[in-house]
Amino acid sequence: MDVEIIFKIAAIGILTAIVGQILKQTGKEEISTLATLAGLIIVLIMVLNLLADLFTTLKTIFNF
Amino acid sequence: MEIIFKIVAIGIITCLATIIVKPIRADFSIIISIVGGLIILFLVINYLTSVFDIFKSIINLSGINSNLYRLLLKIIGVGYLVEFTAGICSDTGNSSLGDKVLLGGKVIIMVMALPIITSILQIITELLPS
Repeated sequence: MDVEIIFKIAAIGILTAIVGQILKQTGKEEISTLATLAGLIIVLIMVLNLLADLFTTLKTIFNF
Repeated sequence: MEIIFKIVAIGIITCLATIIVKPIRADFSIIISIVGGLIILFLVINYLTSVFDIFKSIINLSGINSNLYRLLLKIIGVGYLVEFTAGICSDTGNSSLGDKVLLGGKVIIMVMALPIITSILQIITELLPS
């Protein structure tokens, strides 16, 4: 659990934005939307892992 | 207790990262703020366990039913979780949804606290002269 995941998410966001822009300028609209969607899904999976960790730790701490 | 510097640093870094990412991709900035909150929670949660262990030893000394303590712990957990989720909801602009989450947490806490209330009522009725 460290700060690097924040930088990771920010980097993925900037990277997917750049990739999307480049793909859009080369005329590949569908692939650019797919790329941005893929970045979003990757980040969402990371967040979901964090949330699952939180829920398991909360369950163990609060005796649910 | 030097972890407070870590928490403060994570808060500032998260704010800066959201500011930087927001004009590029607005949806990612919200995710970054959520993750920052989660990391701060993870840092703090270990201290919470030590506090609860101390509470448990005090409860064991006082001879109160440990089920009550467990119930209290659960209620505190529901409170923290609901507060965190409501904060995320209002951060993303769905403040009404956050209010509904808070309402749900209140109802759940009420339901969990009902056994305590009924036991108190039973004690009172036993004490009253019939």
